[in-house]
Amino acid sequence: MCQSPLFSSGLEVANFVVASDVLRHSWFTVKELYGEINDGPSLCFSVRFKTDDRNPNYNIIAFVTWPPCARDHLQGGGGADLVSSSTLKNTFPLFEFLCTKTHPAISIHKNAIQLFDKFHGMLDSLKSQISDSKPLLVTGHGLGGSVAALFTLWLLEKMDFTKTKRPLCVTFGSPLIGDKGLQEAILQYSTWNSCFLHVVSQQDPLPRALISPNISPPTEYKPFGTFLFCSEWGRCASFEDSESILELLKATYSEVPGNQNPNQGLQFFDYAEVVRQLHRNEICKDSTTLVLQQDTQPLRAGISTQLVAIGLKQHQEQQWHRLLSNTERQERQAAIWKRQVFDPSKKLNDMKINMARLEWYKKLSKDKGTGYYDSYKNETNTSDLDVVKYKRILTCYWEELVAEVDKKPQKEGATFRTRWLFGGTNYRRMTEPLFIAEHYKNGKSDYIKTGRSEHYKLLEQWYNEDQEKAASDPLSKKANVKASLTDDSCFWARVEEARISCKLLSNGDSSVSTKNIHKANLIEFEADVLGMLENYAVTPEIFLRNSSFMQWWSEYEEIIRKNFMGTAYVSRLTNWMRNRGYRDYASGNLLIP
Amino acid sequence: MASAIGMREELIIKACSSAMNAHRSPQGYILEEIPSSSDHTFLFSFRGSWSATDWFAHKPFGETDIKLDKFPSLRSIGNIFKNKFRNYIRMNEPMQALKHVHMGSKDDLDATSKYIIQVEMAVEENEQGCQKKKKQRAVMGKRQVVFTGHSAGGPMAILATLWFLERAWKTKISPLCVTFGCPLTGDHIFSHALVRENWASCFKHFVMRYDIVPRMLLAPITSIEQSISTILHFFETRPRGITEEASDFYETVMRNASAVASHAACKLMGNTNLLVETVTSFIPLSPYKPFGTYIFCTGNGSLVVLSNPDAVLQLLFYSCQLGSETEGTEIAHRSLEQHLGYENELQDSLQMQVVHDVGLTELANLPLSGGDNSALNDLGLSTGARLCLRAAAELEKRKQRNKAYFRMPSWTRESLETKPISKKDEMKKAMQVLDDYRKMTAVRNVGYYDAFKLQKTADDFNANVKRLELAGIWDEIIEMLKRYELPDGFERDGEWIKLGTRYRRLVEPLDIANYYRHSKNEDTGPYTIRGRPKRYRYTQRWREHAERMVPGSSGESHFWADVEELRLNKDGFEKVKDEVLELENNLLKWVNGKDLDEDVLLEESTFVKWWKTLPIQHKEEDSAIVKWCKILPNQGAESGFSTLMTNT
Repeated sequence: MCQSPLFSSGLEVANFVVASDVLRHSWFTVKELYGEINDGPSLCFSVRFKTDDRNPNYNIIAFVTWPPCARDHLQGGGGADLVSSSTLKNTFPLFEFLCTKTHPAISIHKNAIQLFDKFHGMLDSLKSQISDSKPLLVTGHGLGGSVAALFTLWLLEKMDFTKTKRPLCVTFGSPLIGDKGLQEAILQYSTWNSCFLHVVSQQDPLPRALISPNISPPTEYKPFGTFLFCSEWGRCASFEDSESILELLKATYSEVPGNQNPNQGLQFFDYAEVVRQLHRNEICKDSTTLVLQQDTQPLRAGISTQLVAIGLKQHQEQQWHRLLSNTERQERQAAIWKRQVFDPSKKLNDMKINMARLEWYKKLSKDKGTGYYDSYKNETNTSDLDVVKYKRILTCYWEELVAEVDKKPQKEGATFRTRWLFGGTNYRRMTEPLFIAEHYKNGKSDYIKTGRSEHYKLLEQWYNEDQEKAASDPLSKKANVKASLTDDSCFWARVEEARISCKLLSNGDSSVSTKNIHKANLIEFEADVLGMLENYAVTPEIFLRNSSFMQWWSEYEEIIRKNFMGTAYVSRLTNWMRNRGYRDYASGNLLIP
Repeated sequence: MASAIGMREELIIKACSSAMNAHRSPQGYILEEIPSSSDHTFLFSFRGSWSATDWFAHKPFGETDIKLDKFPSLRSIGNIFKNKFRNYIRMNEPMQALKHVHMGSKDDLDATSKYIIQVEMAVEENEQGCQKKKKQRAVMGKRQVVFTGHSAGGPMAILATLWFLERAWKTKISPLCVTFGCPLTGDHIFSHALVRENWASCFKHFVMRYDIVPRMLLAPITSIEQSISTILHFFETRPRGITEEASDFYETVMRNASAVASHAACKLMGNTNLLVETVTSFIPLSPYKPFGTYIFCTGNGSLVVLSNPDAVLQLLFYSCQLGSETEGTEIAHRSLEQHLGYENELQDSLQMQVVHDVGLTELANLPLSGGDNSALNDLGLSTGARLCLRAAAELEKRKQRNKAYFRMPSWTRESLETKPISKKDEMKKAMQVLDDYRKMTAVRNVGYYDAFKLQKTADDFNANVKRLELAGIWDEIIEMLKRYELPDGFERDGEWIKLGTRYRRLVEPLDIANYYRHSKNEDTGPYTIRGRPKRYRYTQRWREHAERMVPGSSGESHFWADVEELRLNKDGFEKVKDEVLELENNLLKWVNGKDLDEDVLLEESTFVKWWKTLPIQHKEEDSAIVKWCKILPNQGAESGFSTLMTNT
């Protein structure tokens, strides 16, 4: 598609958030909550929360800790410790769902998780209190904000997003919560990442408390979600990229002692004034003078306005240029990355064309009397070679798609799968025989265990899960047996294995036990085939004269004649085959006595 | 100056004063004639209202769905909105006001129509139907019709203009709509439809820089309903001492305007942060969007003319911001006073003759830090504001580039050997191959549809590949349309409509054949209900809209799907008799009108084979085809329908 110059929308996102009034309402609830706490100062932390449903548009839940957490609490005596998910697995497995194959371990701030643990007995009752009709705003201040974020994570996993809107978590002056594992786990599900907004004032020390140089031993905390940086004079801007956020957290900090709440006598950064200033300024023109070159790109100009809005000064040249270039680079990279995300629908049409070509090849092979499996195996024509190309294109596409889908979390993945399942199943049934042909042609054996590619296994697994819900009616298939593909994409592998069994049986050298194994194998194969026939799940092409199946049949007849299967061996299938019942199969008349 | 705005200065001034006078008119409108040497102008001015109930009838923003049978051209052609199956546009509720205006009339639009009929009469010098105000003077030169209104009279004028545009398109008169301080009236589909139909340039909206009324409907009613009565009362009688309400009102409206503008700006800038979506579910956002040409009166005598709706929305917010906190009360006051000050302001501005027409290129190259002589300097815009305006321009440019993309030669699979080929040419080439294929199948006596369905020869296979290639290109176009990434006028572009109709008639039969060949109807149901790809639905609607046909009547391309469904019908003939008759009537219409190819009637085609299985009673007596052949025996014998008449 046609590209146009990049823009940075951080300022507009911030304006939108401020104008939406969520900041004002959430801080108001937090303030009320603090007002309701009558305990004196204490040594250990506890979580308090409050629900508010007076607002007609949404419900609010606020979390705070008592006493309010200050920087000192986090910067000494293990206050900055992380606890990993493996430790948590035994005692508190609530966040296991975040660990996936690509991110096997995550770590969370110990204090936060301990506080969350203390009240997690009330989680379910809390959730049931919240009505589903209005979206939920979860908020918290300081360490309470960390608890709010964990609560939101827990909610996100439980919620069904077809019925409710996503919740929004707004934290005020909260320290960072987890490590890179947690960040990446949340970033995987982009809609989850969109639920977190962290409000940080320029003068509040707490959000910076857990960043590397400030803590010992140095542990790597990483941010997630969107950060709203508020400057001293009432402007703000938002940032999404985590590296930029870390740099800006450090750069914007101004050590001037912030508001102290006189009542409690403890360090408590009051965001009321911050929020008030933001609101006052939203209808005022931004009069900060920004010096821009004549031909500055909009991206650079946009980022400059954001940096000025969060309190950085243009005249502090070195710092300014460094931050500007870094942020700009990261935004550009993020934009590129987002555009490159695999979008299956783009190439879908090409895939359809290749599938059509394979279908045509199948038809031509049928007309020649061999069936496409054998045609491909014997590779007699140039058309067989062309097929290698189509197969490769299709396989690349589907392997990538399956890998993408496999990465997704439970619920999102399921909807994604049903969309592509039909096409994927067609693809599997059409192309897997070709892989099987290659495998056995090269003299290998046991395709199903050794040669089978991962993406076929997954496609089959998803198909089976889906089929459990819908039972397909064999009668409806009867009419279309001619046009169909074999349901079981590994059918030919079974045929080849059966042929190997035949060979080994007729081979004089093998031991009795081996022979018994193979005999059992053949009997099982017969049963499989019979079952498939009765369900009309096999294409009539297997009965073409030169097909591998018919070759197996002649070898099998040979063995039976020589009494390797036991004397005078008969079975339903053998009778039916001998009577040439397969001629009627194509027209949908199956009669196996 | 006249060229920038598109109107003569005298006309603007006259319209303004008429609009203000109309507020006092007892019957709700004033009709004046302005004879002049070049054209004879009929000026309709509509009265507004100062009663709060007239401004807002429904929560949350006073919007209502407009019945599209009254304004059929305004529907969204391709995209249909998901929550309701009929298209809807939201429009401010001036119907109430209309009701008050025309005493005793229940049907609001009848009232407007009476005005329009008078205009039409006047314009066509029609002697029939003596109404009270006949204007039948012979007029030399052109005639022009102008609708105008101030404040709540604005939406009335807009409705009247729309009515005129819908009905009087046969006359060559292009009406003008001029409003002063008019509140926002339509939503984004309204704005899109007006540009698409080429009507947007008829609408000129004058807005004073701080006038609060044009911004007012960006706020939900719940937030302003306390103060609205006071404010409207102020407009009516201008008492003193309204400072506090004015400040609160101003702040509330501006805060909501900020939300709407920044939300729109995020989209313009291509924002990918999903936080915006999450927050959107927490607040009500106004659905209104500007349309037409806006003329901002900057306050120091210059005028700024702007037509891009996205840019206008941003400008409505940013131009009204306070310069500093201290200006609060003063600006709030101005926001009310300026609403009544159009006459004086325009007198001054038009004398000074400083008009900046901000077109697309100027908007796209807007200097990001002010201070030079650019047009928008007078409105005091910050860098952030300028970036938003630039983003609006860039979006429009991108849409135009997207449309041009289909014309641009590029390297594709096939063209790698020869030379670059544009998507449009690729499309034409593929359709040519299918045309040839069609001619060839006629020779085989089975017809296009059946030959493809049987898929016997290599030609059939090639046709399949071409079908898929064409589907790829068209699906790309439809995707862009769905995301509003093509210019508004695209669905009305004659060339694309023609291309789309040809594609549809040529290729949809093949898609239907493919569908039924693979028995997809067993999983997904009948083709026309759920299986029909969007690229056919859209192209069909384009044609129907352009030729003003009844929606659904251009269904010749899915004729085969109807046949297949009737063929598969197990309920017995009686139940589907009506459908069969309808099919036959349509068939007659389409074959005789050359919309459908005669190969439908070949001996071995699915249709003929099925038709011959129908009960004898029907085949000999009741069938519409038989009746037609009896009425026109010669034509019947020569036409393809003769195959149906021969007995087998």
